[in-house]
Amino acid sequence: MAGDMSQESTSDGDLQAAALSEPLIDGATGECAIAAGCTSATELGTEVLVDPVVSRAKFDRELADYATISKDQRRLGWWILSAEFPEVFVVFAAPQLRPSPVLFGARIDFTNYDLWPPSVRIVNPFTGTPYRYRELSPTLTFMRRIPTSAPVQVPGLGVMEGYAEQPLLIAHGPDEIPFFCIPGVREYHNHPAHTGDSWFLHRQLGEGKLFFLLEKLYRYGVEPLKAYQFGLQIAGFIRPESPL
Amino acid sequence: MPSEERSLTIIVNGVPATIERNAHAPLKSVIEKALDETGNVGQPIENWEIRDGSGQILDMSKKISEFDFPDHVKLFLTLKAGNGG
Repeated sequence: MAGDMSQESTSDGDLQAAALSEPLIDGATGECAIAAGCTSATELGTEVLVDPVVSRAKFDRELADYATISKDQRRLGWWILSAEFPEVFVVFAAPQLRPSPVLFGARIDFTNYDLWPPSVRIVNPFTGTPYRYRELSPTLTFMRRIPTSAPVQVPGLGVMEGYAEQPLLIAHGPDEIPFFCIPGVREYHNHPAHTGDSWFLHRQLGEGKLFFLLEKLYRYGVEPLKAYQFGLQIAGFIRPESPL
Repeated sequence: MPSEERSLTIIVNGVPATIERNAHAPLKSVIEKALDETGNVGQPIENWEIRDGSGQILDMSKKISEFDFPDHVKLFLTLKAGNGG
């Protein structure tokens, strides 16, 4: 692949030009494809805007970088089960819990990378099928704590900085496939609410890299889980034989 | 390249960098070198956070000697997620 990498330097400018002249059809096809059960851009017959040799070389570079630290990350429960261009299939476990559960999978699609940012879908770790919002475990909240604009008055403690919980896994209905809503993720940049935050403002800054995406999935999906929570449920009554 | 005993391995957004450790310098100075060495120069240092292997966030302003890092320690420098949701 070393030879292929040489094409990058000349291709980056071309990629920018292509981005301006060609529509990103993924935003249009994303929703209908989801309804049809398709999940990756390749399955969708997505228009190829980047020479696959270039995208593949960049994909290989992401994997090569990751390979140098994969042993450490495996201990954290990041298990890459397959990585074949353009997709990485990774499963996250939670080794901090006993017994340690497998929590979720993610399919990261590098089609047209890095003219496009990677697509991230949260999937069933056993089948690879994307979860619809209603199918997600309540434990998979992917919440982030953000400071609120106004400090909060706490009786006895004075004025304290306030925080709010912000969900990062977003869907607009229970039957939709949720997307991971942070810069560096294709679905974020293609969403109408984020048209002012182009991928090209982030592309060279480290967001959208494989490690970045995996780390954020871990940070918000796995690391916050500290212990199991158990609940009691009344299932019925114990009684001897029924009376005659 | 510095010897392993006198160096810190910093994983910068997934890419390892080995930086000489100066016990009297703040951790921030090593971070700046690691960012420079790995070509991560587009984001201000405030957009990064550094953690040890157990996930504990480290104070960049502290001197390296205050952390009592063992030999062969690996630190993880990760980019904060931008505004989303």
